Amino acid sequence: MMTGLGATMVRAGKRLLSSLPALFGVLVFTFLLMRVLPGDPAVFFASGPNAGKEEIEQIRKQMGLDKSVPEQLVFYLSDIGRGNLGRSMMTGQPVLKDLRERLPASLELTFTALLIALIAAVPLGVVAALRPGSIVDHGVRLFCALGVCVPTFVSGLLLIYVFYYLLGLAPDPTGRIDVFTSLPPQRTGFLSIDFLLAGDFEGWWAACKQLILPAVSMALFVIAPLARITRASMLVSLGSDFVRTARSVGLSWRKVVVTYALRNAILPVITIAGIVFSTMLGANVLVEKVFSWPGVASYALDALLSSDYAPVQGFVLLMASLFVLVNLVVDICYGIADPRVSIE
Amino acid sequence: MRFVSFRSTTSVLVTTALLLIATAPSQAQTRAETLRYVTGASVNTLDPNIPGSTRESFALSMSTYDRLVAFGRKQLNGKWVFDLDTITGELAESYEVSSDGLKLTFRLRKDAKFQDGSPVTAEDVKWSLDRCVTAPILGKAQLLTGSLTSADQFKVIDPLTIEVTLPKPDKLALPNLATVYPMIINSKVARAHATPDDPWATAWLKEHTAGSGAYVVESFKPGEQVILKRDESWNRGSANKPAFFKRVIVQSVPEPATRANLVERGDADLVLDLQASDVQSLEGKGKLKVISTPQYNAITYVSMNNQIPPFDNVNVRRAIAYALPYEDMFKAALFGRGSPLFGASWADGKPANGIYPFQQPVKLDLDKAREYLKAAGLPEGFSTTFSFNVGQAATAEPMAALVKESLGKIGIKVDIQKLPDAQMSTQINEKKLPFYTEGIVAWLPSTDYFYRNFYTGNQRWNYSSINNPDLAAIAQEARFEPDKAKYEEAGRKLNAMHFDLMPQIMLWQPNQDAVMAPSIEGYTYEFHRQVDYRDVSRK
Repeated sequence: MMTGLGATMVRAGKRLLSSLPALFGVLVFTFLLMRVLPGDPAVFFASGPNAGKEEIEQIRKQMGLDKSVPEQLVFYLSDIGRGNLGRSMMTGQPVLKDLRERLPASLELTFTALLIALIAAVPLGVVAALRPGSIVDHGVRLFCALGVCVPTFVSGLLLIYVFYYLLGLAPDPTGRIDVFTSLPPQRTGFLSIDFLLAGDFEGWWAACKQLILPAVSMALFVIAPLARITRASMLVSLGSDFVRTARSVGLSWRKVVVTYALRNAILPVITIAGIVFSTMLGANVLVEKVFSWPGVASYALDALLSSDYAPVQGFVLLMASLFVLVNLVVDICYGIADPRVSIE
Repeated sequence: MRFVSFRSTTSVLVTTALLLIATAPSQAQTRAETLRYVTGASVNTLDPNIPGSTRESFALSMSTYDRLVAFGRKQLNGKWVFDLDTITGELAESYEVSSDGLKLTFRLRKDAKFQDGSPVTAEDVKWSLDRCVTAPILGKAQLLTGSLTSADQFKVIDPLTIEVTLPKPDKLALPNLATVYPMIINSKVARAHATPDDPWATAWLKEHTAGSGAYVVESFKPGEQVILKRDESWNRGSANKPAFFKRVIVQSVPEPATRANLVERGDADLVLDLQASDVQSLEGKGKLKVISTPQYNAITYVSMNNQIPPFDNVNVRRAIAYALPYEDMFKAALFGRGSPLFGASWADGKPANGIYPFQQPVKLDLDKAREYLKAAGLPEGFSTTFSFNVGQAATAEPMAALVKESLGKIGIKVDIQKLPDAQMSTQINEKKLPFYTEGIVAWLPSTDYFYRNFYTGNQRWNYSSINNPDLAAIAQEARFEPDKAKYEEAGRKLNAMHFDLMPQIMLWQPNQDAVMAPSIEGYTYEFHRQVDYRDVSRK
């Protein structure tokens, strides 16, 4: 077992090293892309009724746009090397600070959504696979189709309308916590954990209530791929020799389905969950907008619309790093779920 | 079986409702003393002078800092709006303008204190005004419009008196001191945070306040929310009392539908910038107070670049002016919520007064438009692009479709071009767009100010790129015209020239729709087009 885990770690380390050139490429590419886009951010930000040439020049200097592009790139890379992602014109804060404050919000939301999606999708997929072609199977398919074809902002607005506006069950859909609740001391940045650490259960419940609607509207969207993969891979697994053997020796139904079939079927689900997680982080911008969730995706969108270079670059770098990290985690999960993977 | 489960659900609901009601009173008390204001944009700096600051930042600074003077308010069609012509003291107990109009003397209130408890002195006022005209900040360009350009103009007479000298009697000098930028800063505190690179402490003041305003910043999360606490010692409100609300929460909620839900459910007290359709339906339900004020210092235009053919031909511009389907555009874009600047009838063919903006005698008349096209030598029409920015798509998109359709009838082929905001600003600044729609706001809406800033010079706000020396000369002269009748005459002349040259077409002044709980009182339309939290109270 130790050797298995050790091998996984070595593999993970190698993966991490080999992804560095890719990260560097992303860095340079995003930088150049932002410069190629039409639109002068200095003019945009100097939009007061009296902003003349002088103001525009001053902002240009402030953003470092008065230098040539190669020079800017060198400055940018050396800044990144020193851990400085630049300053956002929109919020007036260093990008690193903005991202650090907003990333936990996005992660908490995405983790919760993924958890809800997995809790719903895996049983749905298993049930569908156990009775392929039955009414249950079709029902699952219909549910998945509905989830995918309703865009997240529509389901979000619908959920708000029903649970907040009509029924009044949900708290007002603005941000991570009711504005009147005092925040716990920040430790992890995840409110649901920080409240627990502070022993404030009332606050914890308030934060959870706030989290439910946006997480559900995001989860609805990704249940489909997860359930479909679970079903397909369960079907393969159920039809395989080892399951037939397990059945023939008279093992209990539960043991056959859960221990033998599902454990083997779960690998592709982990892969897809990893991919789904990475895409969700960036793609939940609409949910973040609808629920005024102070996350990184809506931050990046606002920055993009106003050609605010530094936050967009910072966001892309963050996403790329997260993608690498998620892949690593998926690798490690693989190793645990199926030790054979670690053998080279 | 079903019936039972239904009943149990109901009982859960009822219990929840009871619980909510039971906990309500304790919450209600704090709620009554708190103003929760939700808005689409966000506060991005505590010093409005920083380039790139938002409207929300302007409004915030009105409550965290005081100025020497403030605008009064007046009723316009039964609604409170700011009054450009009444300037009252804020930090100044009284002020005097010398008979030649060259000296303004301000006597400070003896009891005014900064939020750290130290008294407001003439030294602080001088430092703050010096900063405004010297530091590389937004205030510089604004104060220039009131002939305030150099630190030498501000003189401390004694600890409570400050004197401002002007090179020429300028009507806009005093009103300029009531705008957002020349706020009075606690100079001792600010200086302590200045550095050799940043002698005016701009970096520090962006994230901290050092003012004497009605509210103290309790927490500031850029892009999310700001929470303000009342300064109990501030007494510059009506009847020399502190501001009404103990706390103010300014929260960003980007989705307009959510903002509408929040105020309708009673969770938010005051909302601006809703979609016109939402405002209409909320008004229809009659549960909330809706105050719609025409933004009388804002104008939406269709602009034509007077330097680019064929728009350099006055007859082409006149043709366009008669080919726009004004009524339909007004309904499609704004649901008619605003005041139109088209469709006037001038009995003697002359403008009724010298106020800008004014209603022009133009309406949809395709025959007349065709005649002007013929006169321009383009009877067959031409092709062009009509641009608008994505940020204004909700109103500009339906408008653009109508423009395209209507101009098509007289042979002008229009391509609609939707540009991201930054790209649109860039192209406008570089004078590359031939034909587009844009809006403007002026803090100090006087006729000469409008004409000087929006119809002269090679700057961004001269949307039509018009270059007419006569117009420029009259506007420039009017600026320093002390005689009211002569000023009015100049305004009339300018307005007549506007109609004759038709550099761009004024469409309308959109309404500012403020939707609020019925208990909120005192809302006033302010020059910065945001809520001044000091104005409002709860019944």
